[in-house]
Amino acid sequence: MIDFLLSFSQATGIYAFMNSPWGWPVVESVHFFGLCLLIGTVGLFDLRMLGFASEISLSELHRLVPIGVGGYLLNVVTGTMFLSTAPDQYLYNPAVQSKLFFMLIAGINMMFFYATTAVNIKSETYTSQAIVRAKFMAGISLVCWCAVIVCGRLITYYRPPYHWCLWC
Amino acid sequence: MRESGVAFFSSLTLHSLAMAFVVGINFTVALRLIGFVPRLEISALSRFYVIHWYAAAAIFISGAALLLAYPAKALTNPLFYVKLCAVVIGLLISKRIQNTFSNKPEVLIDSVSIKLAYLSIALWLITLTAGRFLAYTYNTLLASRFY
Repeated sequence: MIDFLLSFSQATGIYAFMNSPWGWPVVESVHFFGLCLLIGTVGLFDLRMLGFASEISLSELHRLVPIGVGGYLLNVVTGTMFLSTAPDQYLYNPAVQSKLFFMLIAGINMMFFYATTAVNIKSETYTSQAIVRAKFMAGISLVCWCAVIVCGRLITYYRPPYHWCLWC
Repeated sequence: MRESGVAFFSSLTLHSLAMAFVVGINFTVALRLIGFVPRLEISALSRFYVIHWYAAAAIFISGAALLLAYPAKALTNPLFYVKLCAVVIGLLISKRIQNTFSNKPEVLIDSVSIKLAYLSIALWLITLTAGRFLAYTYNTLLASRFY
């Protein structure tokens, strides 16, 4: 896996760029920018579903979500650049694994939201059941994205992980 | 701060979380002012400034804690002052936008507000970039190097 990721990174020029003097911090800046877009749109939508700023129409606020998706895609691209450039630093790092776990939970939560509750939000037909469900999902989403930021910080703080990771 | 892993990491994490909320809210408001999601009322959106100001306070508290841990590292790096100026001007613009639109649905978006929105986006991008580059561009980690 490490060899595959490294050869991908070297073949595509990502490795050379990331190891240039400003490559890594530039990509880190873009990565955090994507996260800010996500928090500024999906995070605000979650807060609204939890009951904050209740005068704002949920269906209107939902229109911001594509911007958050754009931010998420930026994170996927830049995250892949980190991973493929230094796979040994990431693949076995429990902070990365935890981050991916929270992203997975957020993704599953989002799928449930669009399968069960989004139709109520878009048509503005709020049953008491839908409101409870929306609040529950918004809480999970907000906690997951905050946990993603915390785990993201942990990655560099404990790098390299070999001396403290119990299962690496 | 420097010797306690928990204190340093907590400050670093709080700084990142608060920065994500401040920058995220400012980006969203700026994008709305520029013309995205035109049906979303800017006066209603400005309700999120409550969270924004709490997060801004957290940025300064956690930033001060990080500065206390490694003062020479930050104070000898010009990028630290660039970041500080960008944050302060960015927050002043946030206050101006909040005062203009908060609880005033009748106020129309004028060209000055649109220019401020573009400036706000630029300033928060500078803040993020300067913040990340701070970790890579310092010349001095500890003042004791000079003794």
